[in-house]
Amino acid sequence: MKIIVAIKQVPERDAQVRINAAGKWIEEVDLQYALNESDAYALEEALQLKEKHGGEVTVVSAGPERVGQTIREALAKGADRAIYVASNDLGSRDALGVARLLAAAIQPENPDLILTGLQSEDLGLGQTGVILAEVLGLPHASLILHVEKTETGLTVKRELEEGWFQTIELPTPAVLTIQSGGNKLRYATLMGIKRAKIKEVRQVTASDLGVDVPPVVLMEGVTMPHKQKSTQMLGGSPKEAAAALVEKLKFEVRVL
Amino acid sequence: MIAILPTLAEPQSFSLSEKLLFAALAMASVYSFWNLFGRILNKILQSKKDSSFRLFPITKRIWDFFWEVLCQAKVVRERPLPGLAHAFVFWAFCAFALVTLNHCAVAFGIGFLNPAGEFARLYFYVAAAFAFACAAGILGLFVRRFLVRPKWLGEQLSYQSGVIALLIFVLMATYLAAFFVTDAGPDARILWWVHTLTLLTFLPLIPHTKHLHLVLSPATVFLSRGGFAQIPPLAGDEDFGLVAGADLTQLVSLQAYYCVECGRCTEHCPAANTGKLLNPKEIILGVRAYLNNLGPASDQPLLGKYNSQEAVFQCTTCGACEFQCPVGIEHVPILVGLRRGAVNTGAWEDEHGGKLFLALERGSNALGLSPAERDKFIEKQALPIFDGTQEYCLWLGCMGGYDPKGREIVTAFARVMKFLGTSYGVLRKEKCTGDPVRRLGNDLLFQQLAEANLETLAQNKVKKIVTICPHCVRTIQEDWKEYGAPPQVEHHSEFMARYVDKLPKQPSEEKVVFHDPCYLGRYRNVYDEPRKVAALAGDLVEAPRNKERSFCCGAGGGLAFLGEEDGERVSHKRAAELVATGAQTIAAACPFCNTMFRDALAATGESAPQLLDIAQLTARGLPE
Ligand code: SF4
Ligand code: SF4
Repeated sequence: MKIIVAIKQVPERDAQVRINAAGKWIEEVDLQYALNESDAYALEEALQLKEKHGGEVTVVSAGPERVGQTIREALAKGADRAIYVASNDLGSRDALGVARLLAAAIQPENPDLILTGLQSEDLGLGQTGVILAEVLGLPHASLILHVEKTETGLTVKRELEEGWFQTIELPTPAVLTIQSGGNKLRYATLMGIKRAKIKEVRQVTASDLGVDVPPVVLMEGVTMPHKQKSTQMLGGSPKEAAAALVEKLKFEVRVL
Repeated sequence: MIAILPTLAEPQSFSLSEKLLFAALAMASVYSFWNLFGRILNKILQSKKDSSFRLFPITKRIWDFFWEVLCQAKVVRERPLPGLAHAFVFWAFCAFALVTLNHCAVAFGIGFLNPAGEFARLYFYVAAAFAFACAAGILGLFVRRFLVRPKWLGEQLSYQSGVIALLIFVLMATYLAAFFVTDAGPDARILWWVHTLTLLTFLPLIPHTKHLHLVLSPATVFLSRGGFAQIPPLAGDEDFGLVAGADLTQLVSLQAYYCVECGRCTEHCPAANTGKLLNPKEIILGVRAYLNNLGPASDQPLLGKYNSQEAVFQCTTCGACEFQCPVGIEHVPILVGLRRGAVNTGAWEDEHGGKLFLALERGSNALGLSPAERDKFIEKQALPIFDGTQEYCLWLGCMGGYDPKGREIVTAFARVMKFLGTSYGVLRKEKCTGDPVRRLGNDLLFQQLAEANLETLAQNKVKKIVTICPHCVRTIQEDWKEYGAPPQVEHHSEFMARYVDKLPKQPSEEKVVFHDPCYLGRYRNVYDEPRKVAALAGDLVEAPRNKERSFCCGAGGGLAFLGEEDGERVSHKRAAELVATGAQTIAAACPFCNTMFRDALAATGESAPQLLDIAQLTARGLPE
């Protein structure tokens, strides 16, 4: 099976994020980056499918130069090769723009299956994967925990609300967005990193792909979430105070 | 005066057929010795070179050789009686070198020690004294091995050892008997031949048995890696640790062949003592069996038929085995080497281990918590932030920064430092030192953590670190060296011990037992400092196994993160020992020991003694 996994580099989960001087983006100096979590699960699913059925796993990622590190990490975990879409202006593209970019890189590969994470940990739009399917004109399913190859296509397990699951069948090629937690992730190894050095990373640009478009997003500003703690004193006799507390818990906080 | 005492009888002339027979037998014996010994030597020499091995500074090696080989100090210290018996056998062998050479020369009429001469007579008497001691010693060892049978020598009786003991005994007896006969009679000739035949039987048996150590162990004591439990750096891009035979280095192969199967390592091993699969002696013998059957060029995995992966990952890296081994076998680098081979190639799959690795790949601490938790703790306790003006950087470590009990220790130690007027600060950003992943053999992750931390420390211009965790101390000081120059680092016990005179002594009758953490004691040789500090709080009592022989709490080697162990828990065994001392307080000096014992004591129930770190004990005596 020929599988493509679209991955994204995001700030490390433990990173201490600050706003940059212009107030229009976060300060990127000193920030540590990592592979987006649900993309890591998408990669794991792809690697397991390859281990079972053979084939090839290619990762695709777009972004500035630092993305190279995340690509190497994916190669170290077992991907066979990578396509790196070099672009410094991702911030000026919306989800549609990014999906077009990825689609252009993926199309000539003619994959049987395209996997990507459900959503990114930084922007959290949750759209890129689904739009990618539309742009490529392929069937898709989202929130996937598990993929099984069948004679005719795929059987996938979707997560629904409240512990319900849905199993659906799909023809290939298809696009699936993967939910975190379906598999056990493998850890990166020294041998993997060393072997990754000799794996192919093909670099392309938006103009190579013919999707050089003018910016559509203009960032007005970013702010930190406001932390707010407020204390209310409930006066009166203990009995009155207790009654007032119950009132609040019932109707304001709605925990009772 | 000595001239009038009887001297050694020697048969006078040998017939040609006797000479030929002796020559033929001697050649056969030497050939048969060399046939096997040469093969073993070849396996050792064909093993990979130890690229990090440095012979210099050589003075320590010479001293160790003198003290541990020639004086047999370690053998005697760790097991006085059998040790002394062994020492006498060893010294007798040394004394006998000249006697034996002369004995053989006599057959060809070229003996160089004239039994009638002053020097030879004196020498023979000295040798006789040793022969006597040796015969007694070997008899004692024989009784111990076959009648007393300590269980560490293994279930199976080693008949080889019995045969060897018998041969040594006959050698000594025939030598001594020669003082009671005269040159002329047939007795002297019979004794000579019995002695000779025994000798010629003994020689080829050496490489077949654990007595190989007669030839090899002097070399190995001399060629030790030079540091306790030292993990060597990987050599080049294709080195992933001990994966297959081709990865065994000369030192490892040499050590595998000279194990004397005494079982001391296993006797002290916390894993072996709690019914785990791991048995350090068998690990070494497993490597030997691999070398014997597959050789040092094989690409068969080392873990599999000859050693089990499960066993290797049960090691707490407590170092008790390595510390006890009388011939200087270095178990920890071998065990960690085997783990490296499994982890660096991805062959090790373990739910908890995988989680730990992923937590550290993506985050900053081994507990997998958000660093915001650490920030909150720092804020709540109002710990000063390190800004380059303070004397010490107080390194929190994962336990000190994230574990509730660890935080209490940090808080207490911060109070002590404040009381002493020492300036210190904590870093805003700290990553795990990499201790658990280093011991579990994940070199990739360890390197990332070490480099990131070294960079932070350099940016903050840290000169001195003090920390409550002995694992952090060891990792920063020794293991990080591969990736840069770490700042000076010390354990809080060493810091507080310097100021004991300034710290209040608490008037109390409380009996306090101190548990030596492996990474502070055996790894760092710090035994007295924490005791001095603990003694501020009460009267010290000792657990039966203490200092160098302290028994592990079970947390080291990354095991604290690997979930429930099989069989009896190491921590429970040790906690029971500490409780049995009757102390009201258990003093710990490591946040890992602390968590392990906390759980173990909770399981023992009501009357458990209280458990406090030495910093908490000290802080208790400070004015509010
Ligand atoms: S280091 Fe400790 S746990 Fe590991 S084998 Fe040696 S004695 Fe056993
Ligand atoms: S490794 Fe050392 S302590 Fe263990 S059995 Fe062999 S010689 Fe004895």
